[in-house]
Amino acid sequence: MSAPLLEVEDLHVGFRGADGIVEAVRGVDFSVAPGEIVGVVGESGSGKSLSMLAVMRLLGTTARITGGRVRFAGEDLLAAGEARMRDIRGRDIAMVFQDPQSALNPALTIGRQMTDVVRAHRRVSAGGARRIAAEALERVGISDAARRLDAYPHQFSGGMRQRALIAMAIACRPRLLIADEPTTALDVTVQAQIVNLIAELRRDLDLAVVFISHNLQLVAEIVDRVMVMYGGRVVEDGPVADIETAARHPYTRLLKACVPSLQGPLGPLTTIEGAPPRLGRMPAGCPFAPRCPQAVDRCEREMPALVADAGRRVACWRPQ
Amino acid sequence: MNRLIQLVRTADWTGWLGAAIVLVMLGAAIAAPLIAPYDPVAINIEHRLTAPDATYWLGTDQAGRDVLSRVIYGARASLAVGIGAVIIGALIGVSAGLFAAYKGGLGDQITMRIVDAIASIPLLVWAIAIVGVLGVGPVAIGSLQLPNEVKIVTLIGCLFSPVFARVTYAVAQRIVSADYVKARYLQGASHWQIVTGDVLPNCLSPIIVQATLLVAIGIVIEASISFVGLGVQPPQPSWGTMLSDARNAIYSGEWWLPVFPGLAISVTVIGFNLLGDAVRDLFDPRHEARTLVA
Amino acid sequence: MFRLLAGRFFSSLGTLFFVGLVLFALTRAGPGSPARIVLGADATSAQITQFEQANGLDRPFLEQYVTWLADVLRGDFGKSFVTGRDVAGEIVDALPVTLSIVLFAFAIALVFGVGIGIWAALRLGGPMASVTRLGVVLGLSIPAFWLGIVLIRFIAVDLRWLPPGGYAPLSSGLMTHLQTIAMPAISLAVYYIAVLARMTQASLQEALRGDYVRTARAMGLSSPRIVVYALLNALPPVINLAALSFGYMFGWALIIEQVFNIPGLSRALLNAISQRDFLLLQGIVFLFTAIFVLANLGADLVNRVLDPRQRAAA
Repeated sequence: MSAPLLEVEDLHVGFRGADGIVEAVRGVDFSVAPGEIVGVVGESGSGKSLSMLAVMRLLGTTARITGGRVRFAGEDLLAAGEARMRDIRGRDIAMVFQDPQSALNPALTIGRQMTDVVRAHRRVSAGGARRIAAEALERVGISDAARRLDAYPHQFSGGMRQRALIAMAIACRPRLLIADEPTTALDVTVQAQIVNLIAELRRDLDLAVVFISHNLQLVAEIVDRVMVMYGGRVVEDGPVADIETAARHPYTRLLKACVPSLQGPLGPLTTIEGAPPRLGRMPAGCPFAPRCPQAVDRCEREMPALVADAGRRVACWRPQ
Repeated sequence: MNRLIQLVRTADWTGWLGAAIVLVMLGAAIAAPLIAPYDPVAINIEHRLTAPDATYWLGTDQAGRDVLSRVIYGARASLAVGIGAVIIGALIGVSAGLFAAYKGGLGDQITMRIVDAIASIPLLVWAIAIVGVLGVGPVAIGSLQLPNEVKIVTLIGCLFSPVFARVTYAVAQRIVSADYVKARYLQGASHWQIVTGDVLPNCLSPIIVQATLLVAIGIVIEASISFVGLGVQPPQPSWGTMLSDARNAIYSGEWWLPVFPGLAISVTVIGFNLLGDAVRDLFDPRHEARTLVA
Repeated sequence: MFRLLAGRFFSSLGTLFFVGLVLFALTRAGPGSPARIVLGADATSAQITQFEQANGLDRPFLEQYVTWLADVLRGDFGKSFVTGRDVAGEIVDALPVTLSIVLFAFAIALVFGVGIGIWAALRLGGPMASVTRLGVVLGLSIPAFWLGIVLIRFIAVDLRWLPPGGYAPLSSGLMTHLQTIAMPAISLAVYYIAVLARMTQASLQEALRGDYVRTARAMGLSSPRIVVYALLNALPPVINLAALSFGYMFGWALIIEQVFNIPGLSRALLNAISQRDFLLLQGIVFLFTAIFVLANLGADLVNRVLDPRQRAAA
């Protein structure tokens, strides 16, 4: 395996609350190889989006990185200045977000927004930037791209807006694309198109992708590897085929059971009992222990470490 | 009621300051005869233009009248006009809004067009012109003689009414077409029950917010009209006429003449604005796009 | 778009006619015939009848209104009862004075209001946020005419930096002109600085929380560019409010002119009132109303033109 493109070690992110800092990401380790596509799966509040925003150093004013290391292509991102981060964002690492409805500026044309991104990173003329933007739109499957550049976001459908956002993200040929639930706000049929588009772009552009989703089934179709997060921790991580057939963490297994299969008989919908742990009220032991059918005393008391074994990792005292 | 308890708990100190100012001013207006040290209209040429001292805390004016007493009595006219205009505006506006929302069709159209027309009237200019034409004399209704302020209150009230009409109209329309209200009609609820039980309680918080902020505007308008001589008539004390007197004596050096009545207006208006903002933050935290301007 | 524009225009025109009728009725409802005031207390009843006939005051009310309206539509506001001059001429004399003060005040309000608002929005949360908030409440609460009196008292009388009142037209030199309108314009502007600053701050803060701002940051755009992105979405309501404010400022300019003893529309209006000069009064109030209605219309149009969604929908 080649040197990883993105390496995250022991990342901690906290919110400043009334009584001190409340940790929402509690020691996350993972890496992404060049050209690899990784699915990050978990419920809302599991820390998956927050970890990725931390990688981009886009946490805003309330949350902050409280510890860990983030290296991109060997460079320490947590030590980089804001100006350096601005260069990296959009040029080396790009990120697209959940709701394409509000993620594009309603007051500017698609073309203007795209060319602004291109010209923020490359010394090109206005015409050159426009050509690059049109190419990117074409690449994400928007026909008649040159004319569509003059459209406003409200003139696009939801799926087209998400395509335009992805086009904006890949216009400067980044090496890593972070897609934060890019399909959640879309129709089911459009979801599949966007997922396929991302798979296609990754192949054509040799792009590494981190695909964040709460839907294991959806990402399983295109990713190489799945990382499952729960309670601000990585609980399981491994090649997609292994996770599909032989998940070791009870949470992953339950997560898989929750998704109704399109093949096979239609059984009752499975749900996981209980609710995810609340911020600031994390259990001392395994975060999943209160809801885990297999939990024993030890799970409640001690936090299991993420143990690597044969290309897989799992954080559980009683892995399957 | 829960809202009220919440208000008491969460309002920040600026809201409390506003409420305190409003209460103090209301108290001064109501209890003026008890707390004013002197007769506000008693002329005392011997002591004319006395600088503030232990006897006359805020000094005396050109006719030797006590400025503090006049400021205290002045609160009566200001608050009466400000609050009175808002009550009149709310009565007219809420009725118009309810009527339009309930009547629908042509009645709705005509009522709301009239509301729009009134809203496109420059309040101050019209108030000045109308009072000017009607004259500043008292209004006689039968044997009852009402002071000139009655005209001002009514005028400002009419011109405030669109604000209330629009708020009520929007809420009433939304509620009348809501499914649960339709269901209640089917269960035999009367219009009256729906209006008092659903529509009005929902209008209440925006109306209170607007009313508080409009009182502030009403007070400034009253003072301005009195300043140009068309409002409260001498010798009755009012902040606007006191400032008018002060304007005429601007060169002679009696700084206390313009400063105190102006401070009285400003502090009162600050009180209503702070209170209004606090109430708005409480009832309607996402009010970004709505600002009252006059 | 055109239909909408035309619709708004005609509804504004309708408003003006309606309002004109109310105004007309009110002037006729007031006590005291203008003849008595114009001709003096010792005029004979024959003289008064003659005056009323000459000015059409003896005719039925609606006929008077229709005649007046028809004349106004032709640009003829009638003749002043008192001076015999064209009302339009009287207004043309006084309007530039008021207009110059209002425009100057409007420029001040726009620059400082929007400027302070942007500055405050970008310094969200710091101690300056409270200072700005306090300043805004102060600005909203200090009556313009009192501010004017205080300015005269301390800047003109004590420090002698500026003349305490009066008016010098632009033709007497720019500096002289500005010296006479500086204090009136500042007095008039303070309230609107506060109004616009508050709106700008709220609107920009809201825009900066938008998802598209996060997208722009994730794409590596520079901070100034991101602020411009947010401003494009934040400014339409501010401009809308500014247009409304422009209409209101004319009203308050009346009071300010009284404070500073400026011979603008205010003096003309108050003279018309005291002399029962109905046609002049109607002309001036009609002008103010028209300006106000146009400002409202402008505010509406500005919103529609600036917002691409509304532009397309119309």
